[in-house]
Amino acid sequence: MALKHLSNALATPDQLSNSSSSLDGVPSDLETSIRCAGAQLTQSAGVLLHLSQDIIAQAIVIFTRFWLGADGGSLRIYPVKDVSAAALYLTAKLSFQPTSPRSVLNVYTFLLSKDTSPLWFVRQGGSPQTPPSPETYILSEGGYQAARQVLLKIESVILRTLGFDTHVALPHTIALTYLQTLGSSKPALAQRVLQHLNAALLSPQLLYVTHQPNALAVAAIYLASREEGVKLVDSDWWEVFDVDREELGFLVVGMKSMEGFMRAELSLWNDRSIPMVPDQVDAEMERRRMMEDGE
Amino acid sequence: MSVGTGTKTVRTRIGEGTRHLLIPRHSPILPLTSDLHAKMSSKSRWADEDPETEAIIAQQKREKEQKRRAKAEKQRQLEEAKAQQARQDANNTQAPNGDSGPPTKRRRLSNDATSSDAAVAKIDAEEKAQPSLLRFPMGEWGPCRHVDNFERLNHIEEGSYGWVSRAKDISTGEVVALKKLKLENSPDGFPVTGLREIQTLMEARHQNVVYLREVVMGNKMDDVYLVMDFHEHDLKALLDEMREPFLPSEIKTVLLQVVGGLEFLHSQWIMHRDLKTSNLLMNNRGELKIADFGMARYYGDPPPKLTQLVVTLWYRSPELLLGADKYGTEIDMWSIGCIFGELLTKEPLLQGKNEVDQVSKIFALTGPPNSQTWPGFRSLPNAKSLRLPSSSAPTSAGNPPLLPRSQFPYLTNAGLGLLSELLALNPASRPTARQCLEHPYFREDPRPKPREMFPTFPSKAGMEKRRRHHTPEAPKRGQEAPELDFAGVFGGAPGGDAGEAGAGFTLRLG
Repeated sequence: MALKHLSNALATPDQLSNSSSSLDGVPSDLETSIRCAGAQLTQSAGVLLHLSQDIIAQAIVIFTRFWLGADGGSLRIYPVKDVSAAALYLTAKLSFQPTSPRSVLNVYTFLLSKDTSPLWFVRQGGSPQTPPSPETYILSEGGYQAARQVLLKIESVILRTLGFDTHVALPHTIALTYLQTLGSSKPALAQRVLQHLNAALLSPQLLYVTHQPNALAVAAIYLASREEGVKLVDSDWWEVFDVDREELGFLVVGMKSMEGFMRAELSLWNDRSIPMVPDQVDAEMERRRMMEDGE
Repeated sequence: MSVGTGTKTVRTRIGEGTRHLLIPRHSPILPLTSDLHAKMSSKSRWADEDPETEAIIAQQKREKEQKRRAKAEKQRQLEEAKAQQARQDANNTQAPNGDSGPPTKRRRLSNDATSSDAAVAKIDAEEKAQPSLLRFPMGEWGPCRHVDNFERLNHIEEGSYGWVSRAKDISTGEVVALKKLKLENSPDGFPVTGLREIQTLMEARHQNVVYLREVVMGNKMDDVYLVMDFHEHDLKALLDEMREPFLPSEIKTVLLQVVGGLEFLHSQWIMHRDLKTSNLLMNNRGELKIADFGMARYYGDPPPKLTQLVVTLWYRSPELLLGADKYGTEIDMWSIGCIFGELLTKEPLLQGKNEVDQVSKIFALTGPPNSQTWPGFRSLPNAKSLRLPSSSAPTSAGNPPLLPRSQFPYLTNAGLGLLSELLALNPASRPTARQCLEHPYFREDPRPKPREMFPTFPSKAGMEKRRRHHTPEAPKRGQEAPELDFAGVFGGAPGGDAGEAGAGFTLRLG
């Protein structure tokens, strides 16, 4: 019973192998890039909205779940940026720190502005020569009314797609409890653990929807203790936390590969922005088709 | 054994581990989801207002379904081929001179058959020696079904929060309760109360909490229904219909179940915030379920700032009435006290006409608060206008003081003790749900009646429209918390036990 509090609904093999976008012909590497960019967008927006990290992390998990399975959302139908905003708005609403549609939409307008966005996959070129005009990053009243309608509609779509199951258990607090149990209270270690857990939210292997929080926590502790040179107890301590060696190994490899994955993404997209709406997804698919035909 | 083989086994075990993780969920789930697909495919799931886009999306869905099927078929064939290959491999290894097949890892350990068997046995033993790890329940998510999967039978009632009707699941024939959420007037999107109701119900799985089966939707964006187990009665309707109140043994059975369910909710950090007899459902097997989580929410430690506009007036605790914005599970315990009183007399215990009247009814029953029985009540926002007897001597011994015995003539001493504790003005003096369950009242004779011996009653909800209750409704969300002037609390006839009426009470106006 109480275990429900500490566990999550996980994606079924069918949901993992048949995303709605892939059935719509979106190449899987493109889907991965867009989903990862959407997760980063959610993270940045959450920070600008002063939401606590547990709300942001829950929103990213909801966002990730939305795209999975044939019944999930397709990138060719739903704009990533709107799903990101609605997931964040919805999660904040259920938390102790609700936020208003206006705040959410103001932040997203700023983050999606090609001139001012601090996000590498939105902003194009270097810093602009002249200060950008405010219209490019400030939401007008008319724009707000329209965007609000979209936000609330996508919120409903997310709820229906997930069958109204908004429960997300996070590994962060579990990891801190485990660290205390292991008798390690080094702040640098705890910090590194949380960094791994937050980075794993962007994982192309979708670690948060394929593994339970206790396993994520153990893997982050294992990896962080290696990196920080902290010696933990001499035994298969992960079994105490109900994680077997196999799962631990898989997760450690997954978490360790995050840095390489992000570097590859950065160089892959280099100067180009990552599609955030269906039209841009279609254009990117068309571009790839033409490149293939050309060669 | 060399180091090299050691790493090799680990690597294969990682591979096996991931597969092992996936496979058990694979088989039982597939037919279910495809069944769901079949049901879903005829309906538009996004229910777009524009029929044209709807048609396009429906078309896309159909195509997608075909693609998915084709892919699944291909996958199946591939797996079959793989399985066949594996079978062949197995045959090869079992053959004494299996040089034709690729060498397997097991064969590399040793060459002759007997030691190979020994190696197998050793690996088996190794596997058995593995500790048994706790496995978490494997939840899943999937899209909502359409409400057309249910046939509506009859209307049950219109509550403060939604319309409830009896319905039949067309595929299984099971009778369920279908509750439509009221979603209009929600400028902030899906109402947070509805979301909290769904979220708390999904997590509150307990034999004394109503079972939420699923959430289904209608054609429009704001048609959302909760599908719950159907129960024949609610406690309020039962009490209205009964000629005699429940027997003491039956009261204990009812109360133990309410408090048992509540104890579970509180252990899950859920406050119900609208406990009353009309929200307690009963079936004909003597089982009681807490229902209507429209006011429920998670709380934390330290408690977050919360609205005082919760709990139906008659069941609302004094600290809420005095405007506390930090409160806890004690408010639910006060409601339990009110329900206990109602079970004893068949009538709601404290039927105030408004907030001020409610406070005066409470004080008339319990006696006015003083700094011994309720330290700190003076600092509550609405207590400023309250003027109490200056020489309020302790009315009776004990803390909290016992309620007047004359009001509950048939209750045992233990019962009166429990009721007085539940209806203690000071929230800190009320027992927790767990303490309540362990109270001597439940252990003394008459013992709680076994559930199977519980009387049955003709169902109101089963056949006809249920009468609307005369209980006031839970407060609406979004209202401003009223600034109450309690100067008039002692303006009327003072409570029976206040001997020095008039002398001690002074009114401050304005």
